[in-house]
Amino acid sequence: MSLKKLIITVAILMVLVICIAIVAFQEDGQTTLSTPEQIFEEQKETENPSAELELDPLHPILTEDSIGYSLQSDELNITYNNGKSWTTVPVAISDLFSGEYNGNQQELIENSFVLNKERAAFLYTDGQNLASQRVVLKYSMDQGNTWQDGVVSEQFPVLRFRKVAFLNDQFGYVILSGDRTMSQEYSVVFITNDGGVTWKETNDSGVTRLISDGGFIDETTGFLSFGTINPEEPDFYVTQNSGESWTKSNIQIPTEFKQIFVTAEIPFKEDDHLAVLINQGPNGDYQGGKVKGKFISTDNGLNWTFQKEVVPCE
Amino acid sequence: MNNKGKSIDVIAWVLFFLAIGFFCLQVGYFLGHEKYQIEYIDNRLFYIINICFVICLFFAVVLLLRLNKISLWFTFIIGIVLIAVNIGLCISNNQQVRNIVSISPDFKHVLSIKEDRKEGESIYYRSSFLIFARPTEKLPYEMNGEFKVEWLANDIAAFTYKAKNQTVHQFIATYGDRNSGLSYYNVGPEIQGKWQGGDLEMISDTDGITVIEKKGITERYDWDHIVQFGTLAIVLMKNNEPVWTIALDTNFKVESDSSKFPTNEIILYRATMEENQPIQMQFKGLN
Repeated sequence: MSLKKLIITVAILMVLVICIAIVAFQEDGQTTLSTPEQIFEEQKETENPSAELELDPLHPILTEDSIGYSLQSDELNITYNNGKSWTTVPVAISDLFSGEYNGNQQELIENSFVLNKERAAFLYTDGQNLASQRVVLKYSMDQGNTWQDGVVSEQFPVLRFRKVAFLNDQFGYVILSGDRTMSQEYSVVFITNDGGVTWKETNDSGVTRLISDGGFIDETTGFLSFGTINPEEPDFYVTQNSGESWTKSNIQIPTEFKQIFVTAEIPFKEDDHLAVLINQGPNGDYQGGKVKGKFISTDNGLNWTFQKEVVPCE
Repeated sequence: MNNKGKSIDVIAWVLFFLAIGFFCLQVGYFLGHEKYQIEYIDNRLFYIINICFVICLFFAVVLLLRLNKISLWFTFIIGIVLIAVNIGLCISNNQQVRNIVSISPDFKHVLSIKEDRKEGESIYYRSSFLIFARPTEKLPYEMNGEFKVEWLANDIAAFTYKAKNQTVHQFIATYGDRNSGLSYYNVGPEIQGKWQGGDLEMISDTDGITVIEKKGITERYDWDHIVQFGTLAIVLMKNNEPVWTIALDTNFKVESDSSKFPTNEIILYRATMEENQPIQMQFKGLN
């Protein structure tokens, strides 16, 4: 194409587009004003999720790069492309927050769901009797196209702590606590070896203090950490047989850190040993309360010795 | 090609790229204005940019393509029609929406108010980026058409207008801060003390503000009748109408240490439709 033809083509195209823009500008209501209230109303209307396309204005809470969820419009939607398109999760919002939960309902309860490229899974409760509800994991392995239910527990008292995680395609765990009275409650761990289809309740640890966290680092080794209100020392249990039995870990805290490092977090593998960070609990004020103690174990979590203080990166 | 020919070519290409620039601006605006909820600060800009686009493109095409007489006339007529259509639509649009635009003395801010004459609504637009603005606030009263704009400082504009019921109202648009933008503060406590300027004296204390005119008129306004705009101005109200606006001058600095006296100036401006000038007031000590 000669330069002359190119200029003519570009010029004609631009004029045509500008003409269309002028017509659209007139029809677009640009001759009347949008008040700030109208804009707000319009935003609310477009957030009404009657069709997938109309869900675009939802704002994702990202869990991973471009993967996120939204609780707007009173339903749970997930996106895998930063909010360009959404899929509705067939679960009622109130069932995601049931039990003893006083936090905001703008975001899901931390650790009560898994949302990544391979899996979307959400813990929820089912049943009218609040004192005895079914706990179910709603999950999808195809980015929300199809959903399955995996019943974690047929009957569970009023739920407080809930956590779900998967270590690989097949193995996952759910930690639940409930039936709290003052600072005592019942807590239990469930594991799955078939990707969440069936769940098996592990043996009770026998501890009735309030659970603060728990987790597995491989298919056999798991931990439970207790004490959320004024803990004085870590109350930390380990299983080395997938929850068949739980043993209290022995944490050797140097005298100067006694009553300072009081709540154990979930251990992680490091070189040829395990490491755990023990934080200062909710009331810690040692060096601003942020410093944690790092302890290591060379016997897979039974005994822990102090290694150093660490300042977490904010 | 001689030098003259080369210069014409350069001008033609510059015009052509300018036309492409205007085109991109319009298309970008058209595609993005809803998403970003922005509008041109003045609705007429849409048509003015179109006209600039047509003019640039016309001369670029004529100079670049060395058109014969028939093609030249054809292009010219298309250009004239497009310009005429845009002028017509611009006038028609302006009859429906009155655009009030005023640029600050330091050219950094633009006050933009658009009045929908049919609906009787006036919306204050806050400039967001270059020639774009977002609708921010609806003026509470329907305008009767009379208005005036006075920049009390580089970042404070007083928009005084008459409502349909002949009452006078004032809207203060503020674009800055006197405290590095770190925290919100109330203007009233910052100007505690006695201030003097022109024929006026103003006293601000814990009960309110008193304005004393040398003619012997004293007006008192308690804090319930004082309305703050942003963190730069307050308006003293009487019978639901503004009487005075007090603005912090550009050199005023909010002191975090309350024991320090203000050393800079404030501005007193009467809310009236008549021609009047803001009055600089100097601090004269505590009461």
